[in-house]
Amino acid sequence: MASKRITKELQDLQKDPPTSCSAGPRADDDIFHWDATIIGPADSPYQGGLFFVAIHFPPDYPFKPPKVNFKTKVYHPNVNSQGSICLDILKEQWSPALTISKVLLSICSLLTDPNPDDPLVPEIAQIYKTDPNRYAELAKEWTRKYAM
Amino acid sequence: MSQGAGTQDTDDSDPDEGDADYGNAILSGVEAHVVKREEYRCLDAEQVLERQREAVRGVTQVLQVTQDDATQLLRAFKWNVNRVNDEWFGDEEGIREKVGLESSSSAPDEASGMVDDGAEVTCSVCYDEFPASKHTHVGCGHNFCATCWSGYLENAVSDGPSVLDLRCPQEGCKRRVPEPMAKRYLKGESAERLDVFKWRSWVDDNPRVKWCTGAGCEVAVLCHGDRGEGPVDVHCGCGASFCWSCQEDAHRPVDCETVKKWLVKNSAESENMNWILANTKPCPACKRPIEKNLGCMHMVCSQCKFEFCWMCCGKWSEHGERTGGYYACNKYSQSREKEGASEEEKRRAAAKQSLERYTHYYERWAAHGASQTKAAKDLAEMREAKILRLGDLQNTPVSQLKFVLEAMEQIAECRRVLKWTYGYGYYWMEEDGLRKKFFEFIQGDAESTLELLTEAVEKDLEEFFTEEKSLADFADFRGRLTGLTTTVKKYFTTMVTELEEGLPGVGSEVVRAVSLEATPAAEEPPKLRRSARLA
Repeated sequence: MASKRITKELQDLQKDPPTSCSAGPRADDDIFHWDATIIGPADSPYQGGLFFVAIHFPPDYPFKPPKVNFKTKVYHPNVNSQGSICLDILKEQWSPALTISKVLLSICSLLTDPNPDDPLVPEIAQIYKTDPNRYAELAKEWTRKYAM
Repeated sequence: MSQGAGTQDTDDSDPDEGDADYGNAILSGVEAHVVKREEYRCLDAEQVLERQREAVRGVTQVLQVTQDDATQLLRAFKWNVNRVNDEWFGDEEGIREKVGLESSSSAPDEASGMVDDGAEVTCSVCYDEFPASKHTHVGCGHNFCATCWSGYLENAVSDGPSVLDLRCPQEGCKRRVPEPMAKRYLKGESAERLDVFKWRSWVDDNPRVKWCTGAGCEVAVLCHGDRGEGPVDVHCGCGASFCWSCQEDAHRPVDCETVKKWLVKNSAESENMNWILANTKPCPACKRPIEKNLGCMHMVCSQCKFEFCWMCCGKWSEHGERTGGYYACNKYSQSREKEGASEEEKRRAAAKQSLERYTHYYERWAAHGASQTKAAKDLAEMREAKILRLGDLQNTPVSQLKFVLEAMEQIAECRRVLKWTYGYGYYWMEEDGLRKKFFEFIQGDAESTLELLTEAVEKDLEEFFTEEKSLADFADFRGRLTGLTTTVKKYFTTMVTELEEGLPGVGSEVVRAVSLEATPAAEEPPKLRRSARLA
């Protein structure tokens, strides 16, 4: 079930690729490990950056959510230094009707609109709330440093 | 005697009936001291199921909903039937949405679950195409194929009881998957697990019921009335005793908060306590290490025959009524501060004294705890094997040897109570004064009273196994042991109540009240080998 569904998702991605991201298996013989790239959204401090993301599909996918991690360092209230992402659809709000393409698009919107009320890095969330300009500056700096 | 029969209820009458029938339920000495507050009921799996059915039946009838919907509503409102009714009649649509039930206005064909079109439809989980007739939805119109439904449900069952709240697989859809639908796609073990989650939910989601903490015990304990604030000692038929409110070991007369503090303190101090915790003590006379392998505090060195008290290592002959005093080893007197000590010395002395004070209480708490464990083990051995042998030796049916088990149950219970009086003492008797003196007096008295009972069981009873004894001897022993058990039970019941009330109005009146309560002359056993010093 899992590999069939992952294969179909891959075909759909190749047939109709989304504009802001791309994804595919890391190696030809392992469909369960993917690498993806996300282009920093234009209306965000991440603009111009290219962010690498690792995707791991569990054996009981799509009944269990995929594990998604940033490989590129990101200055963001919902992404920690390990690259873990705090996103509800990757946890309790996962639905088997979701796809990896929808997940990547959700991550893009998370980059544009951080969720400081459910932070993974409270310090960044604090700055985002109290001093948005400083947050934007730091996020831009990190993007320049790590994602370009 | 069966302790189990004492606490299991066998009738299925209203759960909220009064305390009257608990009096009958109390058969064993273990339960006896808590009669006043025995406000719980032990229920086995069948009884849990029956109560669950009863609640579901009620809601089904009143709200005109399916049994499955009723179960879900009850779960959402913690199995409180009245609340379900109130909330439902307050805002039915809101509740339907919250709990994930079908809206009352939805068209019946949409809710039927099957799509009747013959066209091929793509399942949005596996992306395979199936004739529409093979697809199913839960009344929301989101169709999925049979394989994906069963995969989705199997996966949810393996995640645990949350499967009871499982929603439609569609992203964002709040419609719950009803039980009949789940059952259609779950096979064998998974279907059984769903049933287990369902019946356990009556306990898991019900604030008035908790599982017995005994290992492998599946008894649910229903607490009556407004209990749940103060400690409620539960004695389950499986042998486990625990406090309903905080799930720690039964601990009356101490309150839950103090118990928590005490246990935290013990774990924090455990490093310091290691040296005390050693299982042996040197004989005060010959210094040979001695292991305490019986519950009684009266020790006799097997080598030099020196008799001493395990608690204080003092001569046994200085204990008991012979010296005109009670067991003095429960006392802790603050040592006098040395005169003219420097600040540093004073600080060091204070630290040492604080540790010594704690050590004093901890050591006695732990010693009674160990005795309690030992008493429970002895009781189990007696119940399982030794009692049969005693019956053979004394030519007496086992049913008439209940008094032995009752005495042993009482010992275990008393050890537990005494153990906690030290936790009580540590927190509530911080200053020297009349209250502390009185507390230590009744504690000491309780200890010496219990020693009599312990000795009777451990020494006198053993003689009936090893020596030739006449039937008259045994009858005599029976009378003595029964009398002692009753006296001890009464004494401890009174003490627990007094301590829980915080020793109100300590003074001459209270001393008299306790003494009179504990030893009504008529209850005095006819032939105490050593007269109990109770008055």
